Amino acid sequence: MKNVIAFIEHKNGRPRRVSLEAAGAARTVADQLGGTAHAVVVGGDAAAIAGELKAYPLDTIHVLADAAADGLIDPAVDALTTVALALGPSLVLVGNTMIGRDVGSRFAARVDAGLNADAVAIDVRDGRVSCVSPKLGGLVITTCVFRSEYGVAAIRPNVFAATPGSGSAQIVAIEPAGRAYAVTLEEDVEVAAPELGVEEASVVVSGGRGLGGPQPFTTLLKDLADAFGGAVGASRAAVDAGWISYGHQIGQTGKTVSPALYIAVGISGAIQHKVGMRTAATIVAINKDPDAPIGAFADLLVVGDAFAIVPELVSAVRDARAVHV
Amino acid sequence: MVIPEDRQLNIVVAVKLVPDTNADKRIDPQTRRLVRSAAETVLNPFDEYAIEAGLQLKEQLADGSSVTIVTMAPESGKEVVRKALAMGADRAVMLSDPAFAGSDVWATAYVLAAGIRRIGFDLVLTGTQSTDAITGELPGALAEYLGVPGLTYAREIHVAAGRVRVKRETDTGYQTLSAPLPALASITKSAAEPRFASLKGIMAAKKKEIAVLRLADLEIAQAVGGDGAKLEVTELTASPARAAGKTVTAADGNAGARTIVAFLKERNLL
Repeated sequence: MKNVIAFIEHKNGRPRRVSLEAAGAARTVADQLGGTAHAVVVGGDAAAIAGELKAYPLDTIHVLADAAADGLIDPAVDALTTVALALGPSLVLVGNTMIGRDVGSRFAARVDAGLNADAVAIDVRDGRVSCVSPKLGGLVITTCVFRSEYGVAAIRPNVFAATPGSGSAQIVAIEPAGRAYAVTLEEDVEVAAPELGVEEASVVVSGGRGLGGPQPFTTLLKDLADAFGGAVGASRAAVDAGWISYGHQIGQTGKTVSPALYIAVGISGAIQHKVGMRTAATIVAINKDPDAPIGAFADLLVVGDAFAIVPELVSAVRDARAVHV
Repeated sequence: MVIPEDRQLNIVVAVKLVPDTNADKRIDPQTRRLVRSAAETVLNPFDEYAIEAGLQLKEQLADGSSVTIVTMAPESGKEVVRKALAMGADRAVMLSDPAFAGSDVWATAYVLAAGIRRIGFDLVLTGTQSTDAITGELPGALAEYLGVPGLTYAREIHVAAGRVRVKRETDTGYQTLSAPLPALASITKSAAEPRFASLKGIMAAKKKEIAVLRLADLEIAQAVGGDGAKLEVTELTASPARAAGKTVTAADGNAGARTIVAFLKERNLL
């Protein structure tokens, strides 16, 4: 494979951050391969998104401006396939997100491409692309090389740099596949204000059983997460108790995160939770139990009352960050 | 292909056998493989939601529609598969062949598709991810190899008039999507809680059929298993264990907050 294609997800007229990270990685890997860096954007807002993408170091931005494709996976897979087959053997980068995994896996099956999940580093060795991914919840780290002509890597959000570049990318239109799609989108409903997902946040503030109920998740933890510009996570116990929705669950049966800072509030640190956050760069725990298992792998365990500590911490963080702004 | 409205449905639930979620898994440094003795094999917990969804559809249709479990796993996993039958599935098919060992996501999807085509299907259900590999990429690849619409991340699923309709979770809400059968849907943990097997179910499962299909029984044109994997693992290393940091007891809220702020500043996180 020689060229690299970043699949661009977008919402409300803006590209997703992980897609900009994919664009940045596309440049780096393409340079190592001696090939070119591309982006594929599909949807009603595709032209506007392409304009914004011009700030990133891509050679070509391929655009299918078609509002009928919004919210559907198949048109994106078709567009990606059209571009990839025209370019020849290439590496496709998608975000390791709900949409990225769907588009990437369908494309991979269509062209018999290898599929590397959750890549945290991509390198070229002897002309072959290799991806580094944590497996088994970070227990082991694998390095895999593609044996196939085409490859797909789902990149972990928040790991690759989204560095703007020359702004000289060419924008070209993708030839529509011209076929009808079997899947019908009947409605697309937003129930929550778009917020930063736990997988993309650089700071995650999580709560567990120790919080005793749903309310601290929307007050205490939300305030602390907001102070950092981060996201609220939760342990399985908190989700099972119905205190917060499943989308926030971190752990083996939830999401895997690797933020710069993970703050665990009232979470004991059972193995189920640990595997979802052990790759965070720094872990701070607040727990009333000095013997909580989380103390064995947190960088700092503060033993005390979270309901007293967190509000004080919120104002301290706000003050500290206000100075920097 | 159009499914007539009044025909019974073949619902096929694809499941994976994984090491027990609660076991602390460990890798043998010599073989670089998972130590299975330290980790009991169980049904992937995510797949139980797909089984439940399949059983509820069958019960709602109440027209003789059936639920078949399919898995690619060594025959030693038979008793684990039987647990899915005890929940109420009608039969199970295991795709078992030494040639399947070492399959990556691509090969797994490819072999499962061959098995499911052989079984015959109107609706394929899967979980959203497995607890061991956590790629979340199988449902899309499987739908593609089966050549059917893929409705992923469904928290609700209904079948009527030859169409499947789902509520698909999104990051900020949901979509309602529909597609004609045959189709594939992956079921999230926000769907109905999986039922526990009843004593009657457990007894009945002992008499249910678990068929085994081998490589030769399937229409497989490409190399699969480790030989056919599109990804080659060149290095596998254990992550460095996280060492315990420091523990500080906070006299009050203010002291606790100050301890954390000082620590974050030390690490340039604030």
